[in-house]
Amino acid sequence: MTMDRRSVLGLGGAIAAGVALAPGLHLIAAPPAPTAASGTGKRWAMLIDTTKCSADCTACTKACRAENNVPLFGDPQRDIHWIRKVELKDQTLRRPAVSLPVLCNHCENPPCVHVCPTEASFIRHDGLVLIDKHRCIGCRYCIIACPYKARSLVFHKTRPAKDANPKVPIRAAGVVEKCTFCAHLIDEGKLPACVEACAKADKGAMLFGDLNDPNSEISQRLRKEKSQTIRADLGLNPHVHYQGI
Amino acid sequence: MSLIGRRRERQPYEMQEEREVKSPTSWAGRWSRAFLLVFVLFAAWIAAPLSALADPPQPEKAVRGPCVRDAEWMRRNHMDCLKHKREETVREGKAVPTESFLSCISCHPSKERFCDRCHAYVGVAPNCFDCHQYPK
Ligand code: SF4
Ligand code: SF4
Repeated sequence: MTMDRRSVLGLGGAIAAGVALAPGLHLIAAPPAPTAASGTGKRWAMLIDTTKCSADCTACTKACRAENNVPLFGDPQRDIHWIRKVELKDQTLRRPAVSLPVLCNHCENPPCVHVCPTEASFIRHDGLVLIDKHRCIGCRYCIIACPYKARSLVFHKTRPAKDANPKVPIRAAGVVEKCTFCAHLIDEGKLPACVEACAKADKGAMLFGDLNDPNSEISQRLRKEKSQTIRADLGLNPHVHYQGI
Repeated sequence: MSLIGRRRERQPYEMQEEREVKSPTSWAGRWSRAFLLVFVLFAAWIAAPLSALADPPQPEKAVRGPCVRDAEWMRRNHMDCLKHKREETVREGKAVPTESFLSCISCHPSKERFCDRCHAYVGVAPNCFDCHQYPK
């Protein structure tokens, strides 16, 4: 019996629903799992309107620390930031300074994932770039690779605070961590803590949603309104979009 | 068991020594009796915690059930099960809330009385709770 190699291996589009290997033995191609990259899964993204963000507001950074048990060590060199407020000043002073939150961009071509020797950093099916802390060896390649300074190494041992959120582990010393877009909340169908806090503070500067759904609010706004990403020239295709910078 | 065995072996040997040094007036007798006392105290000090360990551990009974898997299977395979679930949850985003660490607590409220008793007995030190919080 002759068989087309490509159809057996599932290469090419023409794979039959079932290939008979022997009488009663069929090879069936499993449907591919939905992924962000193939457009069949979700692709989480954020749109931040900096015109609504004020320099004195730290609602998002505070909410992030509370939700994800991100500690402050009191030493700015060693503090861990998942999201931080950055002030942009126009050197010619022709435009007013803008304040914006900067967090992991969950890049589509993430250099942090490419350099990770243990595959601890990985892209999840819904486009989130996450760190499997069980595998991270703390080599810090990813910190150097990330052009957005989104990652921090946990240098100190930490103990959970009394009011710590039990759903998010604290950290062992010697692993790298960063913003997860609150993956644990997204999986429950909720919004990331920063987005929630921004809305609660009556700013509404942050919008979160699925880019692969053309009808989602974020897709519609990105189509209609002008927006930018930081350092778009690097070609990483970041998924935190900004307006007004 | 072997620990109990060793303790039992020691006792007749000690008694024999005591019988040999009968004369209370001899210096050697006094010294060896003092030595024996110290030795017996020391042996008791060592043996007390060991004999406690020699009994099989008694992890606390689940306050309710049933477990997410058969209890007998869990006893042998919980570590592989947890690792498997960990990969699925972290890397594939398929969290099953009823099978997460956070829900172990609903039947086993104390890590010290449940996890730690067996782990201490067999001498393993899993580092799950360096980062995860056993819910209170
Ligand atoms: S912003 Fe940095 S850490 Fe986040 S995905 Fe991009 S390169 Fe990786
Ligand atoms: S520090 Fe951890 S996540 Fe970063 S590259 Fe090394 S192993 Fe990967």
